[in-house]
Amino acid sequence: MKKLILIVAAFVFAIPSLMHAQDVSQLTAQCAANAGDVMYLKDFVVKLDQGTPGGAPPTARFALLLSKSVVYRFSICTAPNSEGEAVLQLFDMNTMLGSTYVSATGKEFPSFDFKCQKTGVYHVFISFKEGKAGEGVGIMSYVKKL
Amino acid sequence: MPKVLIYLLIVLTLIVSCKSGGQDKNANAEIPDSVLNKGIEISEEVMQDIVQNISSPVEMAAMIKDLGVPFSNRYISTTDRVGNLTTSYQQALNLGIYAADLGYLNMYNKTTAVIDYLTAIKSLSDDIKVGQFFDFTTLKRLATNSKNLDSLMYISVHSFNEMDKYLHSNNRTNLSTLMVTGVWIEGLFLGTQVYKVTPNKQLAERIGEQKLTLDQLVLILGNYKQDRQYAKLFDELLLLKNTFQPVVIRYEQGEPEMVEENGMLTIVQHEKSIVDVTPEQLTKIIDTAEQVRNRLISL
Repeated sequence: MKKLILIVAAFVFAIPSLMHAQDVSQLTAQCAANAGDVMYLKDFVVKLDQGTPGGAPPTARFALLLSKSVVYRFSICTAPNSEGEAVLQLFDMNTMLGSTYVSATGKEFPSFDFKCQKTGVYHVFISFKEGKAGEGVGIMSYVKKL
Repeated sequence: MPKVLIYLLIVLTLIVSCKSGGQDKNANAEIPDSVLNKGIEISEEVMQDIVQNISSPVEMAAMIKDLGVPFSNRYISTTDRVGNLTTSYQQALNLGIYAADLGYLNMYNKTTAVIDYLTAIKSLSDDIKVGQFFDFTTLKRLATNSKNLDSLMYISVHSFNEMDKYLHSNNRTNLSTLMVTGVWIEGLFLGTQVYKVTPNKQLAERIGEQKLTLDQLVLILGNYKQDRQYAKLFDELLLLKNTFQPVVIRYEQGEPEMVEENGMLTIVQHEKSIVDVTPEQLTKIIDTAEQVRNRLISL
């Protein structure tokens, strides 16, 4: 009987993990499709805990190489069960080039295009507004050659 | 044993085998210990960062198609040698090469040839135990209809990305490095061969700026060069690095500009990179890239 309980427990714990992987995969596919008539290149899947009060919001960082004379699209999607809303920012060294949330105007964008003129290493940062917990996915797509 | 227990065991086994894509940290696909454990000079985290930022298998092909250059199967590697690739080193390197070729074929909607490349990639990915990320059945079905190009492209590139992520998360960055090197060398071969036939300023710049990626690859591969096979690859890349040495990449400063039009946000970068590469330098790069790539696929 003990064995049976152990096996049932393992079964019950395995299912949510499998379902989660499937959810992430669906969210990524949906987000890539929502990016428009562009070509998917990469995705950035994040799952972040809530930040501490007064502290910097937890942030995931991804390095990527972008090429000159190419228009890239950066899109962000938040998982339905998330407390916070995901924000994607693009950085070149310490300079923020673009964000899906413009804090100065309070405007939000599901994506932004980046007309790249300098080949090099850039960074994508993904966090959740007000440092809330959440899951999301960022997508990088190829739009066209400049 | 009660029947219900047997059924549960079967279901559990199935779940664990499906899930192993994300969880199996012990698979080493016959990678020599010497490669996995010794002589790592830069941290695994830094290497992952470097490998991840190397461009995807379709970017060079996308640019070439945008330039209006017609398709040619002279620029891709044949799949008849897959059966001869027996070590994980050969399998991972060629997986990258075929992934780049698949990107090129997809870009030009060459669905008939795509099946061969999907089969080759499936075989090699199974060999290095990442085949679970490659949905061969769906891809094959999509490849039979040219209207499915977007889905085919998405699943192909996404599968490659997932394999790469899995290798990183399971401390098999050495294989990921080989895959990325394969993608890169095939992309360089494609770009340089196209340039030979259709010289173009933008393509010349794109070739010249590969110096940046090459420097990173050399840095990572240097960590594995105590292994004989990796050492050979490292030497090949050093040959290429020497030909790229005279290429100068300079920068013009400028502030980014944010433009909002019809609810769409666009960031225009005004900082520029400029690649100075002479025709003579390009000729050397083209020749060396061809020699190196052909040696690698003849292993």
